[in-house]
Amino acid sequence: MKSFVRYTKTTLLFLLVLTVCIAVSGAFSDVESAQKRKKSSKIDPTNPCSVIYLDTKGNLAGVGDPNKPASLSYKKGRGWHPQALSANGLPKDRYGLIDWARLVRENLIKPRHALKAGVDEMPPLQMDVLIVAKGDFVDDVIYPHEMHTYWLKCEVCHPGIFIPAAGQNNMTMIGIVEGKWCGRCHNKVAFPLTDCSRCHVSPKKTSKK
Amino acid sequence: MIKRILIGTCMLLIVPVIALSAVDSIKIESHGTSRNKAGVGPVIFPHKLHKKSFKCAACHPKIFKAKLGGNSITMRQNMNKKFCGSPGCHNSPKAFPLFHCNKCHMKGK
Repeated sequence: MKSFVRYTKTTLLFLLVLTVCIAVSGAFSDVESAQKRKKSSKIDPTNPCSVIYLDTKGNLAGVGDPNKPASLSYKKGRGWHPQALSANGLPKDRYGLIDWARLVRENLIKPRHALKAGVDEMPPLQMDVLIVAKGDFVDDVIYPHEMHTYWLKCEVCHPGIFIPAAGQNNMTMIGIVEGKWCGRCHNKVAFPLTDCSRCHVSPKKTSKK
Repeated sequence: MIKRILIGTCMLLIVPVIALSAVDSIKIESHGTSRNKAGVGPVIFPHKLHKKSFKCAACHPKIFKAKLGGNSITMRQNMNKKFCGSPGCHNSPKAFPLFHCNKCHMKGK
């Protein structure tokens, strides 16, 4: 019985020491990594890794902060190009990309519909198409013709990319990622496929969890 | 005698932890009919690869129950910031996004 008590005591002590050690080392490594992070925000021109931040003469291209623009005018104290890059004021989606659709909806920009004057503009087509997702566990897609016909003619997509009949385009996400169907534009010039729930918006009626 | 019991209990505690951490990859074959309709294969999850970058507690048991077949993972939940799509994972700029179907859904395996 005595030996049992001794064993438990030693094991308990050992465990206590172990936990203290782990806690202390963890705290130290946290401090170290925080210091490293602080250091890495400044660019060292002599470091071969920072060559992408240098100009052709080997000087810092910007102000030494990778998050700031690397332009001469910015270095001299001027801001971003005011007209071209009022991009800071443009609405962004939750991935930080410019939300062009919101720009159109909120009338923030008004591009001319044709170069020549006197060309009749076709109004956008008010037609939403429900595209049923193949898997049981993915929400269906509601495709808005309106936003797409704001800038594009019918012939851009029909019949080359999409057969203009509901359910006739056997679309798959794998195909779209490879650049077919929606992937002809999305993931390239239009917003990327990253945000699934931007298109997959309509929950299935017999929706499973 | 008591020494043996102590060693035995220690082994009982340690062995499952070692065994679980030694898992290389996990094949997830659930929701077969839905997957067939969508045209994607079962998921092969590279546990070893994730173990290199993360501690066990980063995922277990908060995001994934540490039990084979214990998590009913669906793409909807991944899209809604659960399981693989948890914050800081495959629904964020830190890891490849969810639309690369074939990176997880291996075809013909």
